Amino acid sequence: MSFTIATTIDEALQALATGARPVAGGSDLVVGARHGKAPLPEHLVAIDRISELQCIDVTDLGVCIGAGVNHHIIEHHPLLSNAFAGLSDGSALVGSPSTRNVGTLGGNVMNSSPAMDTGSPLMVLGAEAELRSLRGSRRVGMADLWTGPGRHSAEADELCVAIHIAMPASRSNSAYLRLEYRRSMEIAVVGAAAAVTIADDGSVSAVRVALTAVAPTIIEVTGIGLGSVAEVAAAAAAAASEQARPISDVRASDKYRRHTVGVMARRAVEAAARRALGEPVSVPVNRAAGIGAAS
Amino acid sequence: MSTTTVPRFVRADGPDKVTGSGRYTADLTLTGTLVAKFKYAEVSHARIVRLDVSAARAIPGVFAVLTQDDVPDVRFGPFVQDRTLFARDVVRFEGEIVAAVAAIDVPTAQRALNAIVVEYAPLPVVNDIEEALASDSPLVHEGWSQYGAADVLVRERNDASFASIAKGDVERGLAEADTVVHSRYVADGCHAAPIEPRAVVAQWEGNKVTIWTTTQVPFDARAGVCETLEMPASRVRIIVPHLGGGFGGKCGFHYEAHVAALAKATKRPVRLVFSRREEFIAPDRRREGIVFDFETGVKADGTIVARKVWLAIDNGAYTADAGFFSQLAAMHALGPYQVPNALAEAHLVYTNHQPSGSVRAPTAPQTCWALESHTDEVAKAIGMDPVAFRIKNAVATGKEGPSGQVYDEIGLVDCIEAATARAGYGDDLPDDEAIGVAIGWWPSFSAASGAYVKIDGDGSGQIITGAQECGTGAVMTLRQLVADELGMQPEDFELVYQDTSAAPYDMGATGSQTLFNNGRAAIAAAGQIAEQLKQLAADMLEASPADIVLADGAASVAGTPSRSVPIAELAGIAAGGELLIGHGSGVPPTVQEVSGAMCIGDVGMTAWVAPQFSCHAVRVKLDKDTGVARVLHVSTAHDSGTIINRIGATGQVEGGVMMGIGQALTEGTRYNDEGQQRNAALLEYKLQTCADAPPIDIHFVEINTPNAGPRGAKGLAEAPNVATAAAIANAIAKIAGTPIRQLPMTAERVWETMNTEGSPA
Ligand SMILES: Cc1cc2nc3c(=O)[nH]c(=O)nc-3n(C[C@H](O)[C@H](O)[C@H](O)COP(=O)(O)OP(=O)(O)OC[C@H]3O[C@@H](n4cnc5c(N)ncnc54)[C@H](O)[C@@H]3O)c2cc1C
Repeated sequence: MSFTIATTIDEALQALATGARPVAGGSDLVVGARHGKAPLPEHLVAIDRISELQCIDVTDLGVCIGAGVNHHIIEHHPLLSNAFAGLSDGSALVGSPSTRNVGTLGGNVMNSSPAMDTGSPLMVLGAEAELRSLRGSRRVGMADLWTGPGRHSAEADELCVAIHIAMPASRSNSAYLRLEYRRSMEIAVVGAAAAVTIADDGSVSAVRVALTAVAPTIIEVTGIGLGSVAEVAAAAAAAASEQARPISDVRASDKYRRHTVGVMARRAVEAAARRALGEPVSVPVNRAAGIGAAS
Repeated sequence: MSTTTVPRFVRADGPDKVTGSGRYTADLTLTGTLVAKFKYAEVSHARIVRLDVSAARAIPGVFAVLTQDDVPDVRFGPFVQDRTLFARDVVRFEGEIVAAVAAIDVPTAQRALNAIVVEYAPLPVVNDIEEALASDSPLVHEGWSQYGAADVLVRERNDASFASIAKGDVERGLAEADTVVHSRYVADGCHAAPIEPRAVVAQWEGNKVTIWTTTQVPFDARAGVCETLEMPASRVRIIVPHLGGGFGGKCGFHYEAHVAALAKATKRPVRLVFSRREEFIAPDRRREGIVFDFETGVKADGTIVARKVWLAIDNGAYTADAGFFSQLAAMHALGPYQVPNALAEAHLVYTNHQPSGSVRAPTAPQTCWALESHTDEVAKAIGMDPVAFRIKNAVATGKEGPSGQVYDEIGLVDCIEAATARAGYGDDLPDDEAIGVAIGWWPSFSAASGAYVKIDGDGSGQIITGAQECGTGAVMTLRQLVADELGMQPEDFELVYQDTSAAPYDMGATGSQTLFNNGRAAIAAAGQIAEQLKQLAADMLEASPADIVLADGAASVAGTPSRSVPIAELAGIAAGGELLIGHGSGVPPTVQEVSGAMCIGDVGMTAWVAPQFSCHAVRVKLDKDTGVARVLHVSTAHDSGTIINRIGATGQVEGGVMMGIGQALTEGTRYNDEGQQRNAALLEYKLQTCADAPPIDIHFVEINTPNAGPRGAKGLAEAPNVATAAAIANAIAKIAGTPIRQLPMTAERVWETMNTEGSPA
């Protein structure tokens, strides 16, 4: 058993190369171990004090969010919550204030739960994870990263150092909603994110929709036709319900999940469209739209 | 959020609790303390064919492994003696204890549990309340008829306690009604879910044992240890450090005897600390599931003429303190209404589930939910406004209730009027919002209780009481009562409490009885000191004791404030002579005799001393696409008699309402086909969080109540938990167009109801 505190990415990569597992906020790793999901790894390297992982770099081309940035920061960051509002919607729903202050974006992504709240937004935003090891660096799209519940395609010695997202086109924005039974300390029963671009005539010229907690991984909905916002929202709802592969468990039946994921998809398209048109829709949309949480 | 002005009140235990300096049971470490762990049945119903603990005992670091063979073979239980400390021959629910281990540390204890060999022959699992009542159902207790039990209980096979209340002629009443409405409702069981899991530490010195434990009822816990380990009360001392909530779940006698037996066997202190999962599956205290069938007959003008109710309560595998639940539920099912012809029949049914037991207002919230949902159905059937219908039929001063009790001064109608007016009942709302209204009631419990008060030479005082503080603030309020009696300040008194060897008996933090009974005792004890102080002052000031007034920390002659002496000075004098010591108990209020109804299985629950009444009016928004309901505003009005500590009372209402919202929407135990809990964890068993709390308007209807507690107070801790879920149900039913017939009214159930019964709004 060893515990290394890394202060640079290089130190962390050295530790990973010798078999250590990274721990960022520990809100999945440690909590999971306590609940008997998997024992704590023999060798841990703490990456929460690596300042290089805390950056949010914005250029005209896009944004690079360090893997160590926590959900509280993503929720409240002025640029992210405007231009990448769907991601901020997701981070704003994580756990409770204390969870959002310790839980990181990198931890959420690499934990690879099908119920993770930043997953669908990252998918519809076309995000890429930057994975680095002593062997080099590469970028992987979300669809290639997540391979199953709690599983991803990164090698054991690879650290996720950042998430890269291209700047959305003009008149574009995103939104993420989840079905929740209470306002805090909740897990997505189902969720959906949408990224939408609105043409000059007010119709939808591009749309992407991804779904949370209805398949072994976050999945992207395919084959949504274009048209008016209402038409696209309806098409997204129908496609989401059809393409979802939900399970039945103590939280919800597959039938109910299949129905509600369509509702979430429709509302996500509607909210993303309103944002794309410059209407203020506060983060998280859940509170604004009243899903389990109207105020 | 409260509309009343709240005077300053600093809880004596508040600073310790919020700064973290307070000590809870799990914080205690004595030199050489061992870790206790239990081996649970895990299966719901089986015969033990082999139990071998020898390998576990042989593990180094394991100091003891105990089974039923190692303790006195005593069957215990307050109503039915159907339980033993450890399983004997048969296990009847997954959380039944088969063996207990004391070891040097947690991993060793865990290894010992794994090394215990137990083989089972499966028995049929009784998993459904109604099927358990069938004449061909498998029995949960083959030997039920041989068990000792309270004489009043009516028992038959899986029915551990049948009770009925019959008044008038219900069949004729129904026949004469203009409209009869029939409804069925099912409430799932749920949990008290205190944030502090149970913990017990036991240590022997000679033949005496001291047990630190997380109980709400120290004297009851002591009685349980004495009964099961066959010891006199004088050799058992129960101490409760700060208690991290209980909500009824920590009433009764739980693991004190197991840990004491381990400590005795090992000659070491032993500590048990529950995990959250154990907290969910093991205790014989969780809120009972109930199946209800209602029939109410009304005249066209809205007068109730008859009500017939059948209900069956999930007792679980052992009866614990649920023996009185059937009659209590029967009362709640008839409700606080004038019902000339009534018949309620209630069964308490053994199943292979975790045992039920008193959780905050046992049977009341779910029965109120069912009755009040039914009541809205009745009002709707005759086209009457449900609030007007309630006002017309509610019990009122001088009127007769469903069991024949005629009520003294009560304020139920005032509660209905206040809560609905303050909620804006009748105002226009969006079509996805509605206000639901429900009324509830709850008894006060009259019981023996004792306290001492002393004032030391420096003028500071102590209240030494048997009462237990479970978070409600009731014990904290004793300082206020005693200080008022002696013309001193609450801060002048320290509390010495939660120690059975230091203080006289009190029933504990149960039945909302602490202030009601122990307040009387503390006032009586303070009264003795007041007499002493008046005599001392009279001697000094050359006046008659009858003319001495105690106020503002001084004793003075009435009408002549200049002739005055500080109480601290009198205390100094007393310290050199006859000490200032008072003891009090007082005579408990008497319960009215009732002769209006015929009751079978009568456990004395049909006539209530100082009954409490409430009305909750709740505004709900329903997301019709998903069935998710959100409570936007709760308006409450309570008749709990005189409110002595307004800030404490406000906290009780807020907490009761939040618990009610959870019961209404998200809290319910789900069982698999084997009778095991599927959601025994806080992620899957969803308590409400602070973020879910709506604004809660709190109003007290303070009626001058005869035959009540101190200063006309009734109880208050349980009453606010009664009507909330019911009011939420009625709001949802209005928006959905149809009632939701199962509790909790989860989003999925609401959605299913709206989409299958074909009667959307
Ligand atoms: C009470 C509570 C509520 C929660 N609510 C939510 C919720 O609503 N929505 C939600 O999505 N999640 C929720 N979570 C889960 C968790 O908080 C989030 O997933 C969080 O983002 C995890 O981040 P972390 O830094 O704590 O991860 P850690 O626990 O530190 O790590 C998680 C996993 O990722 C690996 N890892 C971490 N960082 C890296 C990296 N940079 N490169 C490679 N691998 C890495 C770790 O080895 C581990 O396997 C909740 C957790 C708790 C305890």
